[in-house]
Amino acid sequence: MSTARTDTHADDQRRSVCPEEVVTYREALFRTMQDALKRNPDVIIFGQGVDDHKGIFGSTLGLAQEFGADRVFDTPLAEEGMTGVAIGAALNGLYPIQTHIRADFVLLAMNQIVNLAAKYKYMFGGRFEVPMLIRMVVGRSWGQGAQHSQSLQSLFAHVPGLTVLMPASAQSILECYPYVIANHRGPVLAIEHRLMYDLKFRVDEVREKSNESPLTSHRVRVGKDVTIVATSIMILEALRAAEHLARSAGIECEIIDLNCVSHIDAAMILESVKKTGKLLVADTSWKAYGVCAEVCRIVCEHSPASLKAPAVTLGMQPAPCPTAKSLEDMYYPNLRDLTDAIAKLVSGKGDHGIPLPDEHSMADVYKRFKGPF
Amino acid sequence: MNFTSVYEELFYKALRIRLVEERIIELYPTDKIQSPVHLSIGQEAVAVGACQSLKQTDTLFASYRNHAFYLAKGGDLRAMFAELYGKVTGCAGGKAGSMHLLAPEVGLMGSSAVVASTIPHAVGAALVAKRRKHEQVIVAAFGDGATEEGVYHESLNFAALHKLPVIFLCENNGLAVHSALSARQSYRIIEHARYYGLSVTCVPEGHDLMKIYEVFSGIVDHVRQHRTPYFIEIQTYRYKEHVGPGEDHHAGYRSCEEFEAWKAKDPLILNKKLTDRYRPIILKEIDEAVAFAEASPWPGREHLLSDVI
Repeated sequence: MSTARTDTHADDQRRSVCPEEVVTYREALFRTMQDALKRNPDVIIFGQGVDDHKGIFGSTLGLAQEFGADRVFDTPLAEEGMTGVAIGAALNGLYPIQTHIRADFVLLAMNQIVNLAAKYKYMFGGRFEVPMLIRMVVGRSWGQGAQHSQSLQSLFAHVPGLTVLMPASAQSILECYPYVIANHRGPVLAIEHRLMYDLKFRVDEVREKSNESPLTSHRVRVGKDVTIVATSIMILEALRAAEHLARSAGIECEIIDLNCVSHIDAAMILESVKKTGKLLVADTSWKAYGVCAEVCRIVCEHSPASLKAPAVTLGMQPAPCPTAKSLEDMYYPNLRDLTDAIAKLVSGKGDHGIPLPDEHSMADVYKRFKGPF
Repeated sequence: MNFTSVYEELFYKALRIRLVEERIIELYPTDKIQSPVHLSIGQEAVAVGACQSLKQTDTLFASYRNHAFYLAKGGDLRAMFAELYGKVTGCAGGKAGSMHLLAPEVGLMGSSAVVASTIPHAVGAALVAKRRKHEQVIVAAFGDGATEEGVYHESLNFAALHKLPVIFLCENNGLAVHSALSARQSYRIIEHARYYGLSVTCVPEGHDLMKIYEVFSGIVDHVRQHRTPYFIEIQTYRYKEHVGPGEDHHAGYRSCEEFEAWKAKDPLILNKKLTDRYRPIILKEIDEAVAFAEASPWPGREHLLSDVI
């Protein structure tokens, strides 16, 4: 198994250089949950199965035993009601962390998230705040199908009042979650990717003491030929495609991890596109009305003349996710598709002649994941 | 103000709510209140009787039909009119309007226009009260229509399961907009609530200030002491249309006889002596509150994007 690397930070000055540590996405999640409970007696974690023997894919395992059933507890299958309970608890000084083992289930809580949590501060003239974290896991591969695979960032990020995180690395989790829990006074939705739980990441020293908010975008690779803006697992695909293209064709990709998709660093994207003249957006969800569309909007509105070629977007096919492996393989853009799209964009030719990698996708390469969930 | 009896105090509070809403009706044609209003006229005794035994530190979550609860819980009248006028001095700086009144300083928490949506917030608040071992009591106030929503059931279940100090107050006026109970419910509200293991009480006399006060006061004492959830249904009657200042008995979806029967029991109509005693004082207060709202500034551009995150 390869090790996913996110250590090529262009903005190294943002992080103090120190011995690197290797941490899985799962360990990073577990650490942040455990630390949150340790540091703040008002933190509670609840969700279906948080205290069972699987513990939200290991991210809450043993925490009920360690911190007590009044702080880490299972819930009825009542997504809307429990988000409402979280709001009521947050209004009264607790910091609730609610978990959903699949993002699809959050749709049942949309009323509380969109009509209530997102509006509680504004609608009540700034007199109420509902600081809370809602974690949800996006599934992919091994037949997750139409209702265990949706990546719903655009639904949430569309709504003013919500902050939407899509951690693409253990570093992002270790930086953003503690920051959110300690400092952010509004509702935050964290969209985690199931396929990354087992991946190992190199982590620099985390900027815990910094006053600077980590809830923004990060440049994770510097390059002059093309700007790739991506989210979540597509960041890892982009990094691999970039390494392949650098090695085989001397193409240098610049990669921006949106990280906090509700609060995109537009200036970073515009500056990069000005330099490269080429934009490719790769998202984990559908393209229409989503992250792909939004990044294109930002560039079209503010710097259309920077583009020396039409922007290219990659996302899921415009259909519900199929279960059959043969269809699923066509449904998601894989490493080969991404590499080919970058090569075409940079060369300006359909027949670019650049060799494409043999590997197919994250699902085939990084995954030890053999289901069922 | 000094009252000679609890009844007189309750009467005064209910009359004040009615006169405030009658002033809203008078003002409505001027278009100065550009906010949908869901009037509580006819239902005042429920809010007044219930809130009388609550402390300021006891919190109550309400719905869009919240004027009565706002005033009964002790919300500031000037901040209410200013909010209806959309002025910066309103209880939410003009961002809430009639449907989202709040007065956290006296325990009136958020009011929501989405039916049943604040019920779980009351349950969450009760969870905190239980954890912190407060003696606080939390009230979720909602209408009969709310009992049809899924989140209502989720809330009752969780409150009963975790034994939380919350009172579910169902203000049953028999109507969801224009739809009768018989078109909506296969169950009886009180029996259904009992099935969750809640203690339940029903008060059919939603006009009776003293009865509501006494029953609710007993429930508050019980919940304060035993820290378990309680359910109370109070049957009442909405005099006005669902939203707006008018009456709509001519529309044919409900009977005029029923309306007359409720009015014939209405203390705010029957007790002319107390009405005459308090009406001038209340009208003066309302005049001042309206003048305050009129004179207050509008929120400006600097408020448009404040308090989003």
